[in-house]
Amino acid sequence: MKFKKLLILVACFFVLTGSLFAMGEKEGSTAADAPVSKKVSLYANITAIEPIIKYYNDKSGMEVEYTRLATTRFVSTILTEMEAKKLTADLVQGPLPILEILRDQGVLSNYKAKAAEGYPDWAKKDGIYQFGIEYVGLIYNTKLVKAEEAPKKYEDLADPKWKGQIVMADPATHATTISWLVGLKEHVFKTEAEWRAFLKGLAANEPMFVASFGPTPAPLASGEKKIGISMPKYIVTHAPAPLDYAKISPMLGSPRAIALTKAAPNPRGGEAFLEFWLGTEAAGQLARDVGEYVLAPGVYPPIPGIDKTKVIPIRELSDEEIQKWGAEFGKIFSLK
Amino acid sequence: MQRNTKLTWSLLLIVSLLTVAPVIMLILGSFSSSLHSFGNFTFKKYISVYSDPMLLGILGNTAVFVLGSAALATVLAIYLAYMNNRTDIPFKVLFRVLSVVPMMIPHVLFAVSWALLLNPSNGILNMWLQKLFFLSKAPFNIYTIPGMVLVEGLLDLPVAYLIISPAMASFDASLEESSRVFKSGPVKTLFRITLPILKPAILAAFILCVVRGLASFAVPSVLGMPGRVYVLSTFIYRAVTMSLIADYGKAAAIGMSILAISIGLIYVYRYYTRYSDKFVTVSSRGFKPTVVELRGAKAPLFAILIIISSLLIVLPVLTLLYTSLVPYIMAPGREAFSSMSLRHWHTVIKDPVSLRSLKNSLFLGLAGATVGSFLSILISYVIVKVKSRASGFLESISFLSFSFPGIVIGIGFMWYFVRTPIYASIWALFLAYVATYLPYGIRPMTSAFIQIHSSLEESSLVSGASFATTMRRIVVPLLVPGIVSSWVLLASMFFRELSVSVVLSRPGTEVLAVQILRFSEDGQWGRLSALGLIMIAVATIMVVGVNALGARFKPGESREKKKPKNWQAA
Repeated sequence: MKFKKLLILVACFFVLTGSLFAMGEKEGSTAADAPVSKKVSLYANITAIEPIIKYYNDKSGMEVEYTRLATTRFVSTILTEMEAKKLTADLVQGPLPILEILRDQGVLSNYKAKAAEGYPDWAKKDGIYQFGIEYVGLIYNTKLVKAEEAPKKYEDLADPKWKGQIVMADPATHATTISWLVGLKEHVFKTEAEWRAFLKGLAANEPMFVASFGPTPAPLASGEKKIGISMPKYIVTHAPAPLDYAKISPMLGSPRAIALTKAAPNPRGGEAFLEFWLGTEAAGQLARDVGEYVLAPGVYPPIPGIDKTKVIPIRELSDEEIQKWGAEFGKIFSLK
Repeated sequence: MQRNTKLTWSLLLIVSLLTVAPVIMLILGSFSSSLHSFGNFTFKKYISVYSDPMLLGILGNTAVFVLGSAALATVLAIYLAYMNNRTDIPFKVLFRVLSVVPMMIPHVLFAVSWALLLNPSNGILNMWLQKLFFLSKAPFNIYTIPGMVLVEGLLDLPVAYLIISPAMASFDASLEESSRVFKSGPVKTLFRITLPILKPAILAAFILCVVRGLASFAVPSVLGMPGRVYVLSTFIYRAVTMSLIADYGKAAAIGMSILAISIGLIYVYRYYTRYSDKFVTVSSRGFKPTVVELRGAKAPLFAILIIISSLLIVLPVLTLLYTSLVPYIMAPGREAFSSMSLRHWHTVIKDPVSLRSLKNSLFLGLAGATVGSFLSILISYVIVKVKSRASGFLESISFLSFSFPGIVIGIGFMWYFVRTPIYASIWALFLAYVATYLPYGIRPMTSAFIQIHSSLEESSLVSGASFATTMRRIVVPLLVPGIVSSWVLLASMFFRELSVSVVLSRPGTEVLAVQILRFSEDGQWGRLSALGLIMIAVATIMVVGVNALGARFKPGESREKKKPKNWQAA
């Protein structure tokens, strides 16, 4: 008797779950055919862009909806939604390697943006537009470190005088920090031995680790730590906190990119926003209000000296490289 | 009997739909080679995470962190519950509220405020102690396992308190009186009579805190990572993030161990409470909790309560208030006080997303907790009163979603709901909340049910009352303290829920914790603190209101009002 009930229960469970799945599929199939509306959906990992979106919405009468996706969830969320035919994004914005993965999975459209005509050729490929660089530098607390005491070159961060005074994202897990450290090897240090000596010195200084760049400015602003591997844009977004950056050239960073999706529910709305985003008006706002380093010619964030600093995009590491170097840095920094 | 069977199977179906489906998705994901679709089955993900040389050390750290924080939370909760329910300690109402308020504080915020107070470089408390005692270096370092245990223990205390307190309130004092008749002192009575009888509630609280500690991410991330102390949840984070495409299958593979531990703990709990009649304190002969007079011990015990309350609420909330007023995180001093303004408060109050988040969270807190509590009453009834294999299975599956670390279960729900029409709607959050946090509703309810003798409902049924009438007129009124605890636990969890919301929330369905996370990712600690304080205030009003409502419907309240000296339980 009990077994019979169990069978009925299991059958009911599968019928209900199955019908939910079927309804989901049906629902999803209509998403791509939705009528053109004012709504434009942007999936992005860039932060603090709400004022720019509000400006665009007020100006154009459109309703751009900003869904923030952390880099770690970016690909899995978009591919899961696409498989279930539930992807509502007209545009996606994220680090270049992430968008290249999405391109390879057939998510992106090959739209040719007019506003990107003045951009360098390497910044536009297969419908993916690089519009900025997530530049990384050495940020310090100006109340605790005088400008002349700040590092003049990256090796200076390995000086024992910074022992216990550094904050940085976890070099074993934070993909951007891993790429940045590898970028130093490829763009800054002459030999691998010099680079490894720098890493050992940095590890010996026992930096405090946080999960990502986001939590780095707080201990710097409060004086808990004197210097950090962080992003100069925080000098703008955390004003009037006593922060400045070490004037070291070149500065390195991961390219930021944006693209239209192939199955955009509102392709025309998406194109219009993409043109706006790549234009000098939005680039100016990104630089001025968010402190971003943008590729639009002649536009710089309001950080003294940044226009004279060489900022270069680093090579995109493959997944295998990130895992390999993450494990290597974990050993160098003796993570327990 | 037949009615009970129908109820059991109906609940099994509902709970399975809520909790089993996302877990099946996670199991499939953990055995699939693809990162976003199911198929091509492999054991690679299990081999990869379980052969990691760091795992052994991490398990050691996890054991100390989880058991330490659960023990701390449970001991403090017993103390607070005893003082508030069973003694003549002054300002009980205030301490009752203070015991629960930390539930409303977002964990990230709580951990950050403790980092500001006790970091070894310039922690406010550390600097103050250094000056006071002429110390050469900071006396405390919050970035250590003891620091993590302290903060997690304080965060889990309200959960333990809300489970133990109703049991303490419904305690039949005649048992203690019998002990005293045999010349046992109050301490001996406490350890030989009171605590053993409260074993189900204490065990339930401890187990819930252990499960919660295993899934905790905020404290290990904010306090453990800077000190390079890794536990299972940060190990999962590392496994997930060490690649551009997060491999949630690996995270699910680690999550399976946590699930196994949690299910094991439920069976331990069932084993130790299998003779539930031993713990019955409310039967047809009535019950009467009495008040223990503290006399000379009142002052020191009151001082301990003040210290606990300060650690729990006063210090962190003052830190939040301070952070919400200064332009950026800065050490307190003349400059800080001269630059204080309401700028962050204005920004938050004018921010449409923050206001929408507040509205959505309020809806999810109020409606979700009500539905969750109702479901919990039925499930707890079946678990305690219908002792069968099916009810045991029901208890286990009600813990399923909760047993997974937050980062992982949110993905399970995404994989599940994306195949349904409710994906990206507020109802996805609603159902995911109820499913994930069901144990918060069930634990206090089962502890309360265990204390009620079945002779009460049997008498009602024999007298011709229907099942519904018996529940409404006999069982539910006796369960009021448990129902209030369940509702408060669920509402406060829903009100500040992050791990599931961060995956399922979309424009239009933003919730408070996600908005707080946004501020935290942007490093906007001022706005974050302002919104956090608004959240704490709203949630506190909600909780105080429900407690007051619960007090009005307390069993025997009207009868006993004339004898306040004998009846002061919560």
